[in-house]
Amino acid sequence: MTEVIRIIQDVISVVLFVFGALLAIVASIGLHRLKDTRSRMHAATKPATLGVLCCGIAAAVQLGSASDVAKVVVIIVLQLVTAPVGAHMLGRSAQNK
Amino acid sequence: MFDRTLLVVLALLLVAACVIVGRILRPGTLADRAVAFDTLASVIMCGLLVDAARSNDGLRLDLAVVLGLLGFLASVTVARFIELREGKDS
Repeated sequence: MTEVIRIIQDVISVVLFVFGALLAIVASIGLHRLKDTRSRMHAATKPATLGVLCCGIAAAVQLGSASDVAKVVVIIVLQLVTAPVGAHMLGRSAQNK
Repeated sequence: MFDRTLLVVLALLLVAACVIVGRILRPGTLADRAVAFDTLASVIMCGLLVDAARSNDGLRLDLAVVLGLLGFLASVTVARFIELREGKDS
């Protein structure tokens, strides 16, 4: 029974980690290929929120202990709050010129 | 098996980080480089989370918290700097 739970944990975390890494690859290609600063920001904000969210959930599923899960929650909440604020300020400063 | 798969994920994140560093080094405006730096910080955060799961070590999560705060402060500071500099020019 514990082995089955272990395998389920591994599969969930591997799928979420691979999805986060693919988001990072797509964003890095988009930073080169898109033509405008704000369209590049459109590519860059995907791994900043969804990629960190997926990797954090996968790490929490894999680690499992209460203190680690609390740290992962802190990381995810911090990233979800700060990434739109930083993107908003960068977009405003890129618009004004 | 699980360990090897996480090594492949780390290699994918390393490729993405190298491409983003190439974007930072390419000629462009300051805002472009700030966006690329922000993306690089979040890719390194993903790498730290993968490494925490791979080595079963909670210390990497503290590093990820610090890196997230530093990336936010850096992008806000650069955005304020761009706005102040352009306000002085015009």
